[in-house]
Amino acid sequence: MIAYLQRTLASRLKHGRSLTLLAVLGVALGVASVFSIQLLNRNSLAAFSGSVQSLSGDADLSVTGRTPTLPETFYPKVLATAGVSEAWPIYRIDVAVEGHPGLFLEVAGLDLFAAGRLPLVSGDGAGDGNAHGTDALAAFLYRPGWVAVSPALAEEMGWSVGDTVTVSSGSRLADLHIGALVDFRRHTPLAPRKLAVMDIAQAQSLLGRRGELHQVDLKIDKGRDLEEMRRLLTAALGPAVQVLTPEQREQNAAGLLSAFRLNLTALSLISLFVGVFLVYGSVRATLVRRRAEFGLIRSLGGTRSQVLALILGEAGALGLLGAIIGVPLGWLAARLNMGLVSGTLTNIYLLEEIERLRVPADLVVLALLIGVGGALAGALQPSLDMARKDTRTLLSAFTLHQRADRLAPRMAFTALAVGVAALAFYGFYGRTVRWGGFSLGLMILVAFPLLTPLIIRLVCRPIRVRRLGLAYSARNLLLRLGTSSVAVAALGIAVCMLVGVTLLIGSFRATLETWIAGYVRADIYVSTKSWTRAGREAFLTPGLVEELTTLPGVRSSALLRRFPVMSGERKIMLSGISFDLENSDYILPLKSGDSREALRRVRDEDATIITEPLALKTGLGPGDTLTITGPDGEVHFTIAGVSRDYSTESGMAYFSMQTVDRFFGPGQVNSVGLYLKKGLAPDEAADGLRARYEQLPLEVRSSRDIRDGVLQLFDQTFAVTRLLQVMALLTAACGIALSLLVQARERISELALYRCLGAGRGQIFRLFLGEGLAAGLLGTLLGAAGGVLLALILIYVINPAYFGWTIQPHWPWPALLRQAAGIMAAALAASVYPALRGSRTPARELSREDL
Amino acid sequence: MTAPALQFDAVSKIYPREGGGGRTALKEISLEVAAGSVAAVVGRSGSGKSTLLNLAAGIDLPTGGRVILEGRDLAGLSEKERTLIRRKSVGLIFQFFHLLPHLTVEDNVALPEWIAGQTSTAALPRIRELLERVGLADRSGDPVQQLSGGEMQRVAICRALVRRPRLLLADEPTGSLDDENSRQVMDLLLALAREEGSTLIFVTHSRELAGLADEVRQLKSGVLVPP
Repeated sequence: MIAYLQRTLASRLKHGRSLTLLAVLGVALGVASVFSIQLLNRNSLAAFSGSVQSLSGDADLSVTGRTPTLPETFYPKVLATAGVSEAWPIYRIDVAVEGHPGLFLEVAGLDLFAAGRLPLVSGDGAGDGNAHGTDALAAFLYRPGWVAVSPALAEEMGWSVGDTVTVSSGSRLADLHIGALVDFRRHTPLAPRKLAVMDIAQAQSLLGRRGELHQVDLKIDKGRDLEEMRRLLTAALGPAVQVLTPEQREQNAAGLLSAFRLNLTALSLISLFVGVFLVYGSVRATLVRRRAEFGLIRSLGGTRSQVLALILGEAGALGLLGAIIGVPLGWLAARLNMGLVSGTLTNIYLLEEIERLRVPADLVVLALLIGVGGALAGALQPSLDMARKDTRTLLSAFTLHQRADRLAPRMAFTALAVGVAALAFYGFYGRTVRWGGFSLGLMILVAFPLLTPLIIRLVCRPIRVRRLGLAYSARNLLLRLGTSSVAVAALGIAVCMLVGVTLLIGSFRATLETWIAGYVRADIYVSTKSWTRAGREAFLTPGLVEELTTLPGVRSSALLRRFPVMSGERKIMLSGISFDLENSDYILPLKSGDSREALRRVRDEDATIITEPLALKTGLGPGDTLTITGPDGEVHFTIAGVSRDYSTESGMAYFSMQTVDRFFGPGQVNSVGLYLKKGLAPDEAADGLRARYEQLPLEVRSSRDIRDGVLQLFDQTFAVTRLLQVMALLTAACGIALSLLVQARERISELALYRCLGAGRGQIFRLFLGEGLAAGLLGTLLGAAGGVLLALILIYVINPAYFGWTIQPHWPWPALLRQAAGIMAAALAASVYPALRGSRTPARELSREDL
Repeated sequence: MTAPALQFDAVSKIYPREGGGGRTALKEISLEVAAGSVAAVVGRSGSGKSTLLNLAAGIDLPTGGRVILEGRDLAGLSEKERTLIRRKSVGLIFQFFHLLPHLTVEDNVALPEWIAGQTSTAALPRIRELLERVGLADRSGDPVQQLSGGEMQRVAICRALVRRPRLLLADEPTGSLDDENSRQVMDLLLALAREEGSTLIFVTHSRELAGLADEVRQLKSGVLVPP
């Protein structure tokens, strides 16, 4: 049978090339979608892992603060803990490179004389260039601003040893001197390209704050139990710190990205699902043509399982071929979208950017398995169906379409049952688990294809044909329900995703615009260039804040101090705000209640306003208590209100500046909002401020700049979904081409009859285009209906569960209409080749008994 | 003297074979069919009858000689021009009816009009007239699958006549019918052809039916021989 399988495969590739290639392409696009997203997911985590490993790779445990930093006094405490053999402090800060907008250095301040081995500079000759080994490197550490960077970065930026690079941290400028080029990746292959290493004391004084550390890494005595040591250190160091293994820190990053990753994965799986449909359609069409062949095999003594193995073997080979094409295609797609995803990681999640796209071998194997598995899944039902039939039935005449027509009501009933089951599941159990909403999404993907044959029947049957036009083409969909319903369903699913995601994104964007209009109340905002990356450390000096808030033309101001804290095991952002409730129109848009009254309580009663994602994820609301770990342990705050917020999915709590200073220690302001006196134009005032502080690394933005910037970031974050939408649409277009090609083959006699009766090639060509158009129209309408449902599920169920944002539904008509036009164009384009094939049918092909 | 409706002038047709050479289907055939007459071509299976009709309809081209339809040599016309001549001037009737199962009786008859860019509405009086003539007026809305063989062929005759073609070509029009139906259908076909003033050429293996024609030709191994 293997020899037979080989010959059949060769024959399919030779004679049924178009059909086979379309099915292969369908699988390839599906695999490419999944592979590209998984590749980006893996590499985004690898980027963070690289950062962790480059500094903490040799460490058994890391001690980090529950507030952003921990006092240096913890370092000797760690060293003094029984069981700790070595420990080294680390100060980390991201600084903006002057003259290179958007370029940040990830500065790691290390103590080379600490009692421990630093992974980056230990061992034999970590340094390159003019630095060789620990001693050579250490010799330079006393020089002010000395820094080691990677040769790759130096080459990219045109830096050499001895050059001076001006960087900014908050509103401070500092000169760094390139002292050595060190290939950090020799020790840690995943080390970030933009890593810069300098002496810890210099990093603290030049760029950050003296007396503070970000973490203390340590090794434990041999033979000591790691978990026991973790407990021991946690007990010894108190509640202000957490003790984690490097793996736990990586897991935390994975947790941070889980919603982002999961949603992209789900979207990519839709493309694969559409691809599986193509295999299903192709296998069904092929099997109908080859019924007699299988009948012959059975009559010659072939068993049912041999027939089944033969069909599945072919489908598996087809899937493997698709996967082999899909893997490089997926890599290319990931490569093209790396910058976009990287931007999301750094801007939204404050993680490391993806610098290189590494292709893990296990992911390639997984992609190949997905391709083969998807193809087998698509082929299973028709294969089992064929294998079950007895020899006599196989040898008798049969058409796929009669069967599909008969099955249509039963399939629709199954769709109904699937819908009821999914709703019941969600109602009774799904609502209690985070992923429950996906059951509803899955319901749409399963139910809609099952409904398709009946819907085609209901739509096409009443069509009265009066001429050889679009109506005639549309009725032909009904006549070949077996193939046309697969094509329409595949397109429907792709459109469903397209419309669903477009509605979600359009609604989200409109909601965001409304929110910005309410939230961004000041006329001008002043922060620093490094704020987006360095966060808390990117502060404005007190003198500058004083100067800004007392400038002529400034009516009042609002100050913001922001840093991450821990609420239980949840990392949230804490915002200290100083505002003039009486003389400005500062408000925080609340989900319910009076914003100004809530702000009054924040100012006067140490209360807090928490953001919606935090409220949804913790179940907390107005009147409840929010617990945050401060430097001296847990602190409890009454929640005065829940504000709408779309800036961070991890959640945020707003406090008055005085409350923050009292419970978390004094600190500096990160951003200043200025309210101008009446009659002053914000854009002109912003220009004036930029000119005035030209020498300082300030980011001066008018409220319009902020709005534009947020929307730009939003568009960048969702740009990657466009790739998935296009892939799904391409796969669906393949489905239409496949369906029409099958018809061009099956209908040779019918087409020849038209030719005999005087139909020109152009008419046959238009007939096929009409069928493609009709399939496209039906798929679009079906998909649009499914897409609206999917959008509602995404907006009201999945989004709150994973991100916690309230999104107001909005209809982005221009985008939807553009997409509809694009879909119809794709359907038409997909029909061109089959139409050409069909139109070439000569009149003499009219065989004696067909039709 | 009126010009013949169809003229074959030393027409040969050789089908190429894989590996070289060819199979001769027709060998230097010459014939003329007068306008408005009925001609029968008899012959056994494989004698070249269907090839002759395909050449007459411009579906196929001869490898030698000339096929002249309405005074024009079909070999000199483009594929599109031959299609348009067929659409305008030729009506085809097949042994196996070749009705489209998804269309009603009326729609099957209307198909050539649709192909010619007409709507059912415009062609309806003509369709009704023809169906009335063949006794199927009350079945016009029925699916063709519900018809008997004889009824199906009558629908096919209506379809062939709907655009008033000058030349009717029938390939074994009664080949799938029983004797009683054969005679009825043939009588109807001849009567309609004469009423419409169309030239009719039909091929058959039945000498009895051939006897109903004005003239009879016999094909034997691709060569015309006296009947």
